[in-house]
Amino acid sequence: MYKYVIRRVLMAVPVLLMSSLIVFGLMRIMPGDALTALMAESGNVGEKELKKLRKDLGLDKPYHEQYLIWLWQMVTLSPGDSIFTNEPIPVALKKAVPVTLELATLAMILGLAISIPVGVLSATRQDTAPDYAGRVVAVSGLSLPDFWLGTLVITFAAIWFQWIPPIGYVSFWEQPWRNLQQFLLPAAVLGFRLSAATMRMTRSTVLEVLREDYVRTAWAKGLAGRIVVYKHALKNALIPVVTIVGGQLGTLLAGTVIVETIFALPGMGRLTVEAILFRDYPVVQTNVMLVAATLVTLNLLVDLTYAWLDPRIRYQ
Amino acid sequence: MSALDRARFPRSVTRRQFLSRVAAGAAGAAIVSGARPARVHAAAYPDWIAASSKPPKSGGVVTRASAWDPPVLDPRLTNSVGLSQIATLVGSRLVRYPFSDEASGTFDLTLKGDLAESWQGNKDFRVWTFKLRPGVKWHNVPPLNGREFVAADVKYCFEAYAKEGVQAFTFQEIEGIETPDKYTVRVHLKAPNTMFPQNLAEAVAIIFSKEVLEEDGDLKKRMIGTGPYVLKEHNRKVKAVLARHPDYFDKGRPYADEYHILSTPDDATRKAAFRTGQSDILWVAAASEVETIRKTNPNVQAMEYRSGQTPFGLALAQDKPPFNDVRVRRAISMAVDRQKQVDTIYEGHGILGWGIPWVYVFDKVPTAAQLGPWFQYKPAEAKKLLAEAGHPNGFETTLFYYEYFPQMSSQVQLVQQDLKRNLNINIRIQKLDYTTFYGRYVEGKWDGMAWGFKTGYAVALDEQAYQYMHSKSTKNYFRFGDATIDDLVTKLRQTPDKAEQRALARKVWDREFDQVFRMWMPYDAGYLMYQPHLRNVGATAMRRNDGYGASTLARTWIDK
Repeated sequence: MYKYVIRRVLMAVPVLLMSSLIVFGLMRIMPGDALTALMAESGNVGEKELKKLRKDLGLDKPYHEQYLIWLWQMVTLSPGDSIFTNEPIPVALKKAVPVTLELATLAMILGLAISIPVGVLSATRQDTAPDYAGRVVAVSGLSLPDFWLGTLVITFAAIWFQWIPPIGYVSFWEQPWRNLQQFLLPAAVLGFRLSAATMRMTRSTVLEVLREDYVRTAWAKGLAGRIVVYKHALKNALIPVVTIVGGQLGTLLAGTVIVETIFALPGMGRLTVEAILFRDYPVVQTNVMLVAATLVTLNLLVDLTYAWLDPRIRYQ
Repeated sequence: MSALDRARFPRSVTRRQFLSRVAAGAAGAAIVSGARPARVHAAAYPDWIAASSKPPKSGGVVTRASAWDPPVLDPRLTNSVGLSQIATLVGSRLVRYPFSDEASGTFDLTLKGDLAESWQGNKDFRVWTFKLRPGVKWHNVPPLNGREFVAADVKYCFEAYAKEGVQAFTFQEIEGIETPDKYTVRVHLKAPNTMFPQNLAEAVAIIFSKEVLEEDGDLKKRMIGTGPYVLKEHNRKVKAVLARHPDYFDKGRPYADEYHILSTPDDATRKAAFRTGQSDILWVAAASEVETIRKTNPNVQAMEYRSGQTPFGLALAQDKPPFNDVRVRRAISMAVDRQKQVDTIYEGHGILGWGIPWVYVFDKVPTAAQLGPWFQYKPAEAKKLLAEAGHPNGFETTLFYYEYFPQMSSQVQLVQQDLKRNLNINIRIQKLDYTTFYGRYVEGKWDGMAWGFKTGYAVALDEQAYQYMHSKSTKNYFRFGDATIDDLVTKLRQTPDKAEQRALARKVWDREFDQVFRMWMPYDAGYLMYQPHLRNVGATAMRRNDGYGASTLARTWIDK
């Protein structure tokens, strides 16, 4: 087990290195830089002056040199400052990460609370009205894009209830009730979408497991239906579901820019997109590396969960 | 056009977002009202809100959901509208344009004293003397701690502007500054400029403090001024809180205790915030949007805002073939049906398009005929002219642009269709992201066409003429290279007499339209909506009250 974990961690190194090269390269390929975004539109800044400013920011150095400097900053966990706002990147992340983490967690909780019971219900009532209803909901969740659903939700909330979540983010620790009001709708929008895929996967895997011999044995032993389904069938049906949920969590943490934008939440998505648009290299690169590291970690955790769900699985 | 926050226009959502919102909004209205949003004639709303006759009340909080979120607070680094929504209320200028309770209308551009009580040019207008108000206090925030504002502050600020940054072109015009006493600033210009004070009244010419720049090395994070509001909090992507400056030199003002600017990048959310009373002010693009909102909120008020100019038009690489041939430019201009753009995209409310604000040239909004022969839609003549220029079968070219607001993409596509249908000019459109667009556009070495812009903050005639049209100006985005224009705009800034200025401005206008140096396209700044309890909220000086014209909110009060 430990050897497996160490091996996986070591395997993450080339993955992260490759990610760093890709994000560094892509940012440099994109035309323009932060100074162009910040100043050039005014037309008042001479080329000589821009050169000087680029030099001050280290943007005039050869790419390989810039890359190595940044890589070292990553290794030493000191990513530096935003070249656009001068704000230290850890400070920006400290503000953005909790927002996205809270949104992702709530969305995941809501998504799972909907998807697992409905998925199981669909499977156990196959081809009945509840199954059809569950499947329609799942297909809707897969089909409706976030930007459309979010827009509808906020527009109709305003029209019908004269209420929308209070604008102007506050943290849970400052004002818990206001914070929850701010996160409920966006988490529901995200959770609905997430639940769709999970619901479909739960339904199909539970259906498959319900046809296994050991489940038939459980029924034959006279166990209650609830015990058979939830204790014997569901646990074994969860491995593909966990894989999906792990991937979804990674996607959520990478930033949910559309929902964050609609509900005016200052999370990772908005931070990263703004940094990309303004060519704020250090911020984009750090955010991407953070997401890459998170995904690698999540994948490892998902893999480790398999053994808990199915004791037959052994790590070599 | 400035756009750090890219929103610079509150309508700057993506096309996809725009379509979804229109669909959602329309669906919402239909469900609520049982009818489609009616097309409303523009005249349904007043185009000016006069000052309230009631005595103003102090107190309360004015809130606005804003599309803009300035990344930095340094006025040397950006002239974005996002910064101006804060800076024009926190900072002051030497002179300013009238506020909503002083102006006679949206186009009233009478200069008023802000930090200066009076100003006077010498005989040849190379030396301008400004007499400052005594007893003006900086905000009572460290390191200024409410110290008195004096002439040396102006000198320091103007010199810093000239040294580096986006304002350099304007302030490098200054040869030297004298401060004979605490309240007198004497500015020596390198060349005569009768309109120099106007340039200092622009929203971007706010006075910043020496102490902050020297302590921080830049002005990115702190903004301390002498204006009506103190920047109490600026939490990016969340909100900016402006609190009343208790020692503001204009005693009794501002009226509202606080002004909250909520960072709200999404258009539908801003509308929802307005509907639910979380936001007091909202700008929308069309009369039908006003009506949709008034269906659920019948008491909210609206003002029809008439644009005095357009910031956008077709820019051609006119220093290169085929666009260096005036016949080609004229043919293209005549092949574009601008009225169709106004009628379809702007619901009949937009202007046809011109660069210099019409108030400097005409007594009333110019008609299409006054824009000259090459501005009329005459496809047959256009085709003939293009053939004379040696392109009977049209040609291939490119057009790149950044979508400031969704209507712009529709305009670009209509131009593409018109030119293909009428002149067989095939245009390959490139829609770029903000930074790529500006990098390419401002560098000025591109070929083909661009959907060009001039900076959005400018009101002053000198800025509109000399700074945008002179061949040597760094703001010559449209690549003018015309000796006649150079002479005219130089003479314009040397002419003190208003009537002569007007005559010269007309000559500049005529020359531009005759040679089709800039191919202006229709534009509309939309409608102002506000909650019924707000007073003195009208947009003034050709500027919306949410961005470059936000300083007028110092006179807004809450009637509750």
